[in-house]
Amino acid sequence: MAGYLPFDETDLPTLYKKINAAEFSCPFWFSPEAKALVDKILTPHPKERIRINGIRRDPWFRRNYVPVKHTEEVEVNLDDIRAVFDDIEDQYVAEKSECSDTGPLLMNAFEMITLSQGLNLSALFDRHQDYIKRQTRFLSRRPAKDIISSVEAVAVSLGLKVHTRGYKVRAFLNVPLFSTRLEGMSANKTGHLAVVLEIYEVAPSLFMVDVRKASGETLEYHKFYKSFCAKLEDIIWKPAEGANSNLLRTITC
Amino acid sequence: MDGRSSYLTLGEKLCSVLFPLIGICEAVILGFVGCCGDLRRQPDRKFDYSFTDFVTVNEVEALFELFKKVSCSIIDDGLIHKEELQLALLKTPAGKNLFLDRVFDLFDEKRNGVIDFEEFIHAISVFHPGASVEEKINFAFRLYDLRQTGFIEREEVRQMLNAFLLESEVHVSEAILEAIIDKTFEDADADMDGKINKTEWKEFVLKNPALLKNMTLPYLREITTVFPSFIFNTQVDD
Repeated sequence: MAGYLPFDETDLPTLYKKINAAEFSCPFWFSPEAKALVDKILTPHPKERIRINGIRRDPWFRRNYVPVKHTEEVEVNLDDIRAVFDDIEDQYVAEKSECSDTGPLLMNAFEMITLSQGLNLSALFDRHQDYIKRQTRFLSRRPAKDIISSVEAVAVSLGLKVHTRGYKVRAFLNVPLFSTRLEGMSANKTGHLAVVLEIYEVAPSLFMVDVRKASGETLEYHKFYKSFCAKLEDIIWKPAEGANSNLLRTITC
Repeated sequence: MDGRSSYLTLGEKLCSVLFPLIGICEAVILGFVGCCGDLRRQPDRKFDYSFTDFVTVNEVEALFELFKKVSCSIIDDGLIHKEELQLALLKTPAGKNLFLDRVFDLFDEKRNGVIDFEEFIHAISVFHPGASVEEKINFAFRLYDLRQTGFIEREEVRQMLNAFLLESEVHVSEAILEAIIDKTFEDADADMDGKINKTEWKEFVLKNPALLKNMTLPYLREITTVFPSFIFNTQVDD
């Protein structure tokens, strides 16, 4: 809120002294109610310090506050678990020991290229050769949390349950910022459909939402994806015509 | 092995005792000739069996089943043509795809426009979970070095990125494209000469092993369950 720490000293003993004496000052732009709440939170003595319930009841805190809704925990369908959970990805994340701290981690070209369908030879083993496999992903310029809430809301409106695996504050290369699994009955109510959705930050404030089928019929999946995108029109980014023609011109095989 | 049935001929017993893998591979290939039509023969070429270090006999047989299926899908001549590979990977024989072209070229070692079983099994063995990381790194480098200059140049990265975006039906502006390419070269081009050489590529990938994700097909270990018909044709137990 202030943009700086309440207690910031170069040496630990001085720092601790300040904390214990509650020697801090709020910036001038804090309202009196905000300052009062901060005072109560930064009280040194734990018995005198405000509790979480107290914070929740505080009038300043309650202004414009929307509590987080918890989705119900439902039994996960264990069928096709190998296809859904990309274990090899987790294995590679564990292997990467350091994470360079040079600003926000953006995708580089090779991370995207490795997602390409033409380079994905596992399709050779695909037993269901009935339908043309098409890529299902789109871009968005909205903030990540808007994308997440829209995606979850639309999934629920289409009758699917949302199982969120995780929301990483800093993504490693090739590990999504956000990953979720959507499950339920397909639109024609004949079978189960499970979808994995991941969000990657491709460039500053530009996100790629990658959607793929985890289990269920391919045709039902594509029907779902069509309705899904129709409802997400306002977050999907489609740049102006000029960009497309440039793109087509530079492609040579 | 002793308690097995005696309907194995002496020749087969010899093969399975002395040259287990080599014998079966030869049997598979020769059997294939009779099965699916003409096979262009290269009688003086020595078959390279190095993949047998980590690929089992049953996996070879199952891969042969897969090869048969793909190679007979459009032109029934026992060889994989570009359209057949495209059909198998992209589910449509039509349209152009840069990555498919690269994959086909790398599989087609002899450069005769078709992939035979030997070429197929050599290339696909690189994708086996048991293959060395070094092999995968090298294969990926050759894949991305579009013009085979020994370097991955900026223009090649741009082409691949465009191909990816086109494939995904996702569009970005020139500015963002350039920013992504800049970032890529920042990460990978250590000596900043505008191109990525083999050493830089290797270092880059070792720091980001997830980039090799598409170079491993875990299914290859379970291929024997995907193509069960081999169970009835096999002559050897693992």
